[in-house]
Amino acid sequence: MNAFRVARAARPAFNTLRAVQRRGYADVAADKIQLSLALPHQAIYKSQDVTQVNIPAESGEMGILASHVPAIEQLKPGLVEIIEEAGGSKQFFLSGGFATVQPGSKLSINAVEGYALEDFSAEAVKNQIAEAQKIAGGSGSEQDIAEAKIELEVLESLQAVLK
Amino acid sequence: MSAAWKSAGLTYNRYLTIASRVVRRSLKDDKRLAAERRGESDLRFAKWENGKQGEAKSLNQANESGFAQAAQSS
Repeated sequence: MNAFRVARAARPAFNTLRAVQRRGYADVAADKIQLSLALPHQAIYKSQDVTQVNIPAESGEMGILASHVPAIEQLKPGLVEIIEEAGGSKQFFLSGGFATVQPGSKLSINAVEGYALEDFSAEAVKNQIAEAQKIAGGSGSEQDIAEAKIELEVLESLQAVLK
Repeated sequence: MSAAWKSAGLTYNRYLTIASRVVRRSLKDDKRLAAERRGESDLRFAKWENGKQGEAKSLNQANESGFAQAAQSS
């Protein structure tokens, strides 16, 4: 009988607690941005709440915070920095793709390849730069030269962030 | 200002393929071996005319020659 009374007294408090905790399916905490970072073969982030995301957009480097205006940005091959809820930050080098900011603090980044910086070998980058420079300055077909120039752009950006 | 790859007559798809290939090649050996297999593709196609199958060609080779032509004409 006594225990029953305690349970009844506790119930209103429990109800208000639940009302505060309940969040709809699409809600994001006010100062967070919901990030999905997806590659064709792997999802690095799946709708995870983060504080800020810095992206290398074709129109310039930009930092995305909560309540950003909706936007579609083409990404240059470069470094994406994710500042997580706990305060730490993570960096990934993406090979180029698109970032879409949707209403309601949602950010989707799609790229073909993306790896953490420690997965890259500075030596492999250096060797490839030498090779690509040879092709770009050589007398190959126009297509070979154009492709080598793309490779150089990616490699130089990679070398700059590896230092 | 249009991007360099665009003025060279390459498609965005081709540009992304090259950029991703070079990212894969820059990885440390263990990751690189696993990643490089993702860049490989082997597709064949044939054109059917008057109910007869034409010659089966490799899609990659056909793309290469197509891009080379586009690069020349640009």
